[in-house]
Amino acid sequence: MDKSTRFQISFVLSRVLNSGIIMSIEKNEKEIKGLESAITKITKLPYVSTFNSYTGALHGALQGNDIGHGDSVTLSNTTDQEEKFIDWLGISNQYVIEQDSFERFSVNWQNIGSFEEELQQPSTLVLDFTELGFGPCALMATQDNRIWEKAERLKIFGAFDLRTMWTQEESHPDLQPGIQFNYRISPLVAACAKLSLLKRGEMVENRFFAKTT
Amino acid sequence: MRTDFLQKPLDFPSEEMVFESLAYFGGEPVLPYDNRKTNFPYITKEDMMQMLISIQHDPNKVINEFAEKYRKYVGANYAIPTASGTSSLHLALVGAGVEPGDEVIIPNFTFIATAQAVLAAKAIPVFTDIDPNSYCMDVSQVEALITDRTKVIMPVHVHGLPADLAALQQICDKYELKLVEDASHAHSASIHDEICGSIGDAAGQSLMADKNFPVGGEGGISFFKKEEDYQRALAFLDESGIDYSMSWIAAAFGISQLERLPYYDAVRARNAKFLSDALADTELFSPPYVPEGCKHSYNMYRIKLNPAMKGLDDLEDYKVKEAIQQLIMEEGVFAREWQNRPIPGHLPFQNKKGFGNQYPFCLNDTDRNYQIEDYPNTLAMFRNTLTICRELRSPIEYERIQSYALAFQKIDKNPDKVRKVVEELGAIQPPYERDARLG
Repeated sequence: MDKSTRFQISFVLSRVLNSGIIMSIEKNEKEIKGLESAITKITKLPYVSTFNSYTGALHGALQGNDIGHGDSVTLSNTTDQEEKFIDWLGISNQYVIEQDSFERFSVNWQNIGSFEEELQQPSTLVLDFTELGFGPCALMATQDNRIWEKAERLKIFGAFDLRTMWTQEESHPDLQPGIQFNYRISPLVAACAKLSLLKRGEMVENRFFAKTT
Repeated sequence: MRTDFLQKPLDFPSEEMVFESLAYFGGEPVLPYDNRKTNFPYITKEDMMQMLISIQHDPNKVINEFAEKYRKYVGANYAIPTASGTSSLHLALVGAGVEPGDEVIIPNFTFIATAQAVLAAKAIPVFTDIDPNSYCMDVSQVEALITDRTKVIMPVHVHGLPADLAALQQICDKYELKLVEDASHAHSASIHDEICGSIGDAAGQSLMADKNFPVGGEGGISFFKKEEDYQRALAFLDESGIDYSMSWIAAAFGISQLERLPYYDAVRARNAKFLSDALADTELFSPPYVPEGCKHSYNMYRIKLNPAMKGLDDLEDYKVKEAIQQLIMEEGVFAREWQNRPIPGHLPFQNKKGFGNQYPFCLNDTDRNYQIEDYPNTLAMFRNTLTICRELRSPIEYERIQSYALAFQKIDKNPDKVRKVVEELGAIQPPYERDARLG
């Protein structure tokens, strides 16, 4: 990790800790909501779901698109990890079709200021924030509320949250959860990612340079 | 800056409070409305300093430091830190050798993650009823459920009381099965001084913010007795590509919080003993059962109700429970349901969607019909018990635990008022006929 990245992480984390956000499951729920709304503003995709890993968010996008065991997906330029994970889920990757089922993008300190300009205007997007350095952190953003609803139900602490006391009752059979993972992100990690996004890297750097020049 | 600090001290409670009118009927509550919050865990300068130190290190080094320190504390041979308790259970099962289509025997009363971790391992959960005293897996049912596909027995140390691992180990030895502990409620709990998580072939444990030993948000850890099981779990992580990594931020908190885990444990044990002694002097309430040689970690504290002792046995027991819940809540004690339906009755096990297209349920020839009626002891527990959750595991003040005891004693002195509330309830459903709750 280079000096500048370490500074960014330290800066963001100290700001978050100084705000009083430490942990707990209910009190900091709004940090996760805040991260989701920051992504909505940037990507213009209205429905966002957070995950505690990139593979979790990838799984969410697959689930949201009704792609499960025995089904196939189209994803180009996949990494070794993506291939292994999709295979483990029992999903095959079809390379012959041109259009990817959804877009994936990794956000880091170099592109955080303007990454939306590099996106292909997807209707569903998987964003990986792990490279920021706060720990595994990823999101799925989508234009389609139904995709979001299905992705949320992949998470044990998903749409059935603490405010509803995790009530698992569902009037729509196609929305009922099957396998569920605890893909819930730590509120503290979400708070760090949110602050990083709000600053978009620039203000942190400017202050740093202002003090050192 | 937001603060969690509880600004208002609690007055010393008076024992005369038990003779006052119930708060539900307009009397003064034992705990004032503005003084009912508890705070856990304590965040101190040590946590902040540890975070500042950890920032300077490679994230993996921080995570490994945490895992190694906690592994030694538990006394396990091998450990893998994870993103959550669910993922730790999944890894424990895979490490123990569970393969697609295998069966894993678990109790029906647990958090849903226990059963979902079995599905994540692409195996089929087979549920037992619970022991009516310990609320853990009913060991007497296990042998009848073993088939050629059974690979693992995974008891849960429910609420922090160790399951009967000695008896289960005998069954595992007889049928050549692996014993995997779900130790998510059982930090520092022990059997004859052996800490839960280190006793079985493998174990999974949640370390989320809601647990007795919390890391900074979400986290978990898998333990293994044998190197081959540990290596199998590591190989799975590589082969599946799944990212179950713990955040270094969570691990950094874990490092500093581990130092005060014995303090948290001691305060919780003290509080539990105080409350149990007080409840033992009542007729309506019974404290949790703890067998000889077991150390309960009291992640939750489940209280059994005895309506017959107060001449209330002509009433439906679940209505008595509901009435007492309303009464005790008004006194300022958050004793409530923790779950209300056996896990096999939850949607994922009714619809059996699994990973999609009914996988892995479709791998198993036995058509398991998950019905909640198969678990009468659990249903009875839902009807006649109330649970104190995080309030007791906080390192709460002496005067607060005194107040809790007085609140129960106050209700014990008012069975006629309990009856009156039951009569006002009208037609309500038993807990397990309402929407299934995860917590």
